[in-house]
Amino acid sequence: MAEAMRSDGIDPAVLAGNESNRAIAAEIAAIPLAPKLPRRFWWGFAAFFTIGLLFLGCVSYLLAAGIGTIGLNVPAAWGFLIVNTVWWIGIGHAGTLISAVLLLMRQNWRNSINRFAEAMTLMAVALAGTFPILHLGRPQYFYWLLPLPVTHMPWPNWRSPLVWDFFAIATYIIVSLLFWFMGLVPDLAILRDRAKSRGKQRIYGFFALGWRGSAYHWHRYRIAYYLLAALATPLVVSVHSVISLDFTSAIIPGYHSTIFPPYFVAGALYSGFAMVITIAVPLRHFFGLEDFITLKHLDNAGKVMLASGAVVAYGYLCESFFAWYSGDQFERYMMWNRMFGDYAWTFWFMLACNVGTLQLLWFKRARTSPWLLFALAFIINTGMWVERYVIVVTSLTRDFLPSSWQNVLPTWVDFGILFGSLGLFFAMMFLFVRLLPLMTIFEVQELKHELKEAQ
Amino acid sequence: MPVTDKDMREELAAAEPARFWRSLEERARTPAFRRMLDAEFPEIAERYATATDRRTALKLLGASLLMAGMGTAKAAEGIAPYVEQPENLVPGEPQFYASTLNERGYGMGVIVEAHEGRPTKIEGNPNHPASLGGTDPIMQAAAFSLYEPTRSRTVLKGNEVATWGAFQAEVAELRERALLQGGAGIGVVIGPNTSLTLQRLFSQLQQAMPALRFYLSDPLAGTPRPYAVLPHFDEAKIVVSLGADFLGEGPGRLAAARGFADSRRVRAGGQRTMSRLYCLESIASLTGAKADSHLLVRPSAMDETVARLATAMQSGTGDDAFTTALVRDARAAGNGLLFIAGERESAFVHATAQRLNQPSAGITHTLIAPVATAPADSGSLYDLVTDIGVGAITSLFVLDCDLMHSAPADLDVGAALEHVSSLYHHGLHVDETARKADWHVPATHDLESWGDLRAFDGTASIVQPLIAPLYQGRTIAELAAALTGDFVSSSLDLTRATWAQLDDAGWREALKRGVIADTAAPAITAPPLAEIANPVQEAAQIDVVLTPDPFLDGGTHAANLFLTELPRPLTKLVWGNAAELAPATAQTLGVATGDLIEIGIDKQVLALPAFISPGQAPDTVVVPLGFGRWTGEDSDTVGTNAFPLRRRGNAWLLAGARVKKGQGSGRIITTQEHHAMEGRDIVRDVPLAAIADEGPSAQEPPSLYPPYEMPEEAWGMSIDLTACIGCNACVAACQAENNSPVVGPDEMAVGHDMHWLRVDRYYAGDPEAPETVFQPVPCMQCEDAPCEVVCPVNATVHTHDGLNAQVYNRCVGTRYCSQNCPYKVRRFNFFQYQDFDEGSPLSLLMNPNVSVRERGVMEKCTYCVQRISAARIQSEISDQPIADGAVQTACQQACPTRAITFGNIKDKQSAVAREKTEPHSYALLEELGTRPRTTYLARVTNRPDEDKGNG
Repeated sequence: MAEAMRSDGIDPAVLAGNESNRAIAAEIAAIPLAPKLPRRFWWGFAAFFTIGLLFLGCVSYLLAAGIGTIGLNVPAAWGFLIVNTVWWIGIGHAGTLISAVLLLMRQNWRNSINRFAEAMTLMAVALAGTFPILHLGRPQYFYWLLPLPVTHMPWPNWRSPLVWDFFAIATYIIVSLLFWFMGLVPDLAILRDRAKSRGKQRIYGFFALGWRGSAYHWHRYRIAYYLLAALATPLVVSVHSVISLDFTSAIIPGYHSTIFPPYFVAGALYSGFAMVITIAVPLRHFFGLEDFITLKHLDNAGKVMLASGAVVAYGYLCESFFAWYSGDQFERYMMWNRMFGDYAWTFWFMLACNVGTLQLLWFKRARTSPWLLFALAFIINTGMWVERYVIVVTSLTRDFLPSSWQNVLPTWVDFGILFGSLGLFFAMMFLFVRLLPLMTIFEVQELKHELKEAQ
Repeated sequence: MPVTDKDMREELAAAEPARFWRSLEERARTPAFRRMLDAEFPEIAERYATATDRRTALKLLGASLLMAGMGTAKAAEGIAPYVEQPENLVPGEPQFYASTLNERGYGMGVIVEAHEGRPTKIEGNPNHPASLGGTDPIMQAAAFSLYEPTRSRTVLKGNEVATWGAFQAEVAELRERALLQGGAGIGVVIGPNTSLTLQRLFSQLQQAMPALRFYLSDPLAGTPRPYAVLPHFDEAKIVVSLGADFLGEGPGRLAAARGFADSRRVRAGGQRTMSRLYCLESIASLTGAKADSHLLVRPSAMDETVARLATAMQSGTGDDAFTTALVRDARAAGNGLLFIAGERESAFVHATAQRLNQPSAGITHTLIAPVATAPADSGSLYDLVTDIGVGAITSLFVLDCDLMHSAPADLDVGAALEHVSSLYHHGLHVDETARKADWHVPATHDLESWGDLRAFDGTASIVQPLIAPLYQGRTIAELAAALTGDFVSSSLDLTRATWAQLDDAGWREALKRGVIADTAAPAITAPPLAEIANPVQEAAQIDVVLTPDPFLDGGTHAANLFLTELPRPLTKLVWGNAAELAPATAQTLGVATGDLIEIGIDKQVLALPAFISPGQAPDTVVVPLGFGRWTGEDSDTVGTNAFPLRRRGNAWLLAGARVKKGQGSGRIITTQEHHAMEGRDIVRDVPLAAIADEGPSAQEPPSLYPPYEMPEEAWGMSIDLTACIGCNACVAACQAENNSPVVGPDEMAVGHDMHWLRVDRYYAGDPEAPETVFQPVPCMQCEDAPCEVVCPVNATVHTHDGLNAQVYNRCVGTRYCSQNCPYKVRRFNFFQYQDFDEGSPLSLLMNPNVSVRERGVMEKCTYCVQRISAARIQSEISDQPIADGAVQTACQQACPTRAITFGNIKDKQSAVAREKTEPHSYALLEELGTRPRTTYLARVTNRPDEDKGNG
């Protein structure tokens, strides 16, 4: 990443092939405009959608039967759903980083991957937003967290991190949606123009908001897009920091730690880029997009993972060190319990995935072998999920008074919701690929143009 | 009673034509109609004649007209309130009546709170010697058992619904036949009962039918002896328990607990001495947990150890630390010695205790004649089976006992009962014995009955009903009266007749006070000491010893799920029993908690899960009795019945038992999984000698928040860990007061328990002979409460009087408050635990002043805010400040040892404020800066090795 950030010039490796603007547009727009996609695309969608139905089923059961159907108790009153929230939000972060921060930093290599990364963000955050609501004892009243001037409900307690959290996630969803849609407008116009059927023309035309590509349009578009990017940039840092405050403001050993905000943000980018790779590698393979999503992209993503992963590893080290250095018996016991207690295997599994696997990314060969990278990304994402489990659940099972200590086990509903949400996420990604250009056509054209000029 | 068309036509065709009929069903004379008539109109059913002539029809018409204008209720039987008779019942204001509950036949005086005629809550009666205002969990659960849904509701003849009238007719016929032969062939089985009314009726019965035989079914009977010991703990400097759990068992346990705790209530500015308790025991008990020095002896070695102790007392030298210290202390204490022998210890142990006690007779204890619990010449169950076998008993009345459940293995009660030509059962449930019976009569609950009972010291009190019988229940007295030929007297008449010496004013006074004055048994001089040789007991490799469950007794309360779910004081087990054994014994047997253990005697093998319970004697397996009782079609059988391990003469210590590890594992549900304090400063000890004269220097931990203004009262609580005996009465009282649900075994197993107050139990020291400490943990009502900050919807807030209030209606269920509570005292409704849509009678149990919480909301201890509000309303009406002691929390009121003090800490003269200035007062986890309003008084220890003399 460092290398890419430093160079002001454009690395030709980010766009292979030598295609005309028209050819680029044709190739990218072919997917949403194709009358029919190959059968195996739909088989893939069907598989993920079926898993997604599991989410629907489990959530319905949860809502009907009550929150007691998932693995919770007192002391451990937070479980899988909170772990899922933190994990999904984290995944979203990579999208925002790629689209906003790298845009502002003029990292043009982002142009071919930012669209689907943003889509990934949006879907991940939408999913993440459902878990805290599902996790309520009375989810029907979730809106009581809003400061609505209604006499029948209490005013929110502004001291509660959950209120901050609620606003952070809501802001994140809104900004991500706006940013994503803004970026889509010129492309929607291209799709409108290229569409053959009346229906598609109307639908894409409606959402293209009358885009004609005039200089005025482009001028205002630029201003608005950069403004939104500037708005979205702090969110990369703030959203996960606020989420980490849910934990750090609590007094529970294992939650109460000042390292959490940076450590959560780094963790978010780490898992987010892992997810980008998890999506990009199959995409470029199955849709023949090797020219657009090049090895250079994968290499860069690998470097971001390496950097953020190193920060995460530093976070682990810091937590352990300060648990000991604080001299606080509760903190010390918490760390000992993480390492050697009933849930010790999760801690060591987490280290093996997140710190052990990470070491392979020092090697360029690993960063540029797509399927190896894909496997690493998968392992790292699993590890990041387990990391949140270690923080959220194992800390709770052993707090201050040993009389309350009790382990907690997830139920089938927990697993159903977790895997179901993954299914739903990928099913939505399939729909996105089917309906919208998965790369920003005009930005790729622009990139092409700039490359030519540079030559 | 719907009848299908086809059936109906066939029936109608077959039926002989009647002139008058009211429905097609009746016309068809279907059995269904008959059943409906029996169930709905039992009074008519008896007189229902198939053919009605014109005159009768006209009479009935006239009578119907007349009856339409009459009330249907029975004439009300006046009962007197405890304090004052309200002119009218004021809706919304509870009424309090004194009554008596039956525990193993003895009376426990109570004051029952009733809301609009529904008894909802039991408190102890301060006037009653067995309560002194305190209660135990069983008493707290009495209101639950009243409304318990599986109770028997109707008289049954075989499996068919019958009526009390039909039963009376049956009894009248039996009586006429039996009178001719002086009652020969009739047997009556009763449980222990101290009621003088029953004794009067039984002796009448014996006079009328001299050949009638009584049998006593008392599966928990201890060693018989001609005296009862009343301890005076205030005079005892050294108390020695020889296997006696005087704090946890027996009809006088609440009084003993009070006396014992009072003798140890050390305060900087007050009492500076405390008694010292030595405990010799084989089964971990509450008494053992409070002992200053204790010795674990396996049951088979008990007699020998007691013999050695007696020798050491004479010679003045002991051969172990326990005995040495005891002998030294005993010398110093002079006649301040009190030896208490366990109910179930051998006659030798009792005789030895009596001998050692003699110097202090009249000082540390008095003796009384034992309170009679059965007619003098009652036979045993063995006699019963023999008598049935030889045909001497053909009609048997089983009154309020479940013989099938508690029978020992060498007694085939089932087969014997088959041989009885008519078996009459009376009980609260259609249990296994009832299923064998030809007739079953539902019993009334204590709260529905008139009667009388005597306490452990002989004091008589009236059992006063709070509510008319919910079902067709009858008292034992009514059944006994029917046998004597009295078919009309109600149990009130029968009780009143027993106490004919009381005039109306005296009767009213007895009802009000809850005790009948001057009925305590007089002291007797010690009976001559019989020399009993020290019996030599064979030691098996592993001793198996039975013990009654502390809450279910011998199965009497098996249907009471409130008690089933209450954590056992020492093991914290719920929903089932286990083979309890010390860690080393478990190692010997190669079992871990949850593994099945097989206990075999002869061909009988019982498998039940092991539970490692530090504090049990070495090489001993303890099995609680009272589980595995079937109490009707709709009930679940919980745990394993251990009665079948018994043999004649082997009631408690099972000689010849084989113990081995079994295959597989069983379910163990416990509310506390960790037993050590992990070196944390949770329960503090302070040696008696180290109590300072000064209070603690007031050191408030720093806080960024401004202190709360306290415009009115500032409620606070202090819990004395020296006085707490860990009995769990407070937990039960809290649950009963605050409408906390019973959640069931599956929920308990995953940690969804709903007790707002818990008693934590920790072990310290050597796991083979641990010290056991208890710590009740209610909400700490922190001033800087971590829960309040994190609630996003302001559902948990600080009140003006310093309570940490929970607003159920605002709660959306994020559970963040529970996460952030360092004491983990918040409880969450993971499901809809109480749903009364199905019309369960348990809805009548609810305290109307406490919301029943719905699914998805957090709940917690509120210092019984409803009681605070009631007192505040009173204070505003009378324009007087709330007096100290006017508000008692439910846990405080129930506590038999008065370990809990509650009140206004702003008033420096209040009892609680004074407790908080004691030098050994401390806050739990105070280093977290939560500034709890609930504080503790450290456990004052008086171990023999701690000081020079005994206090």
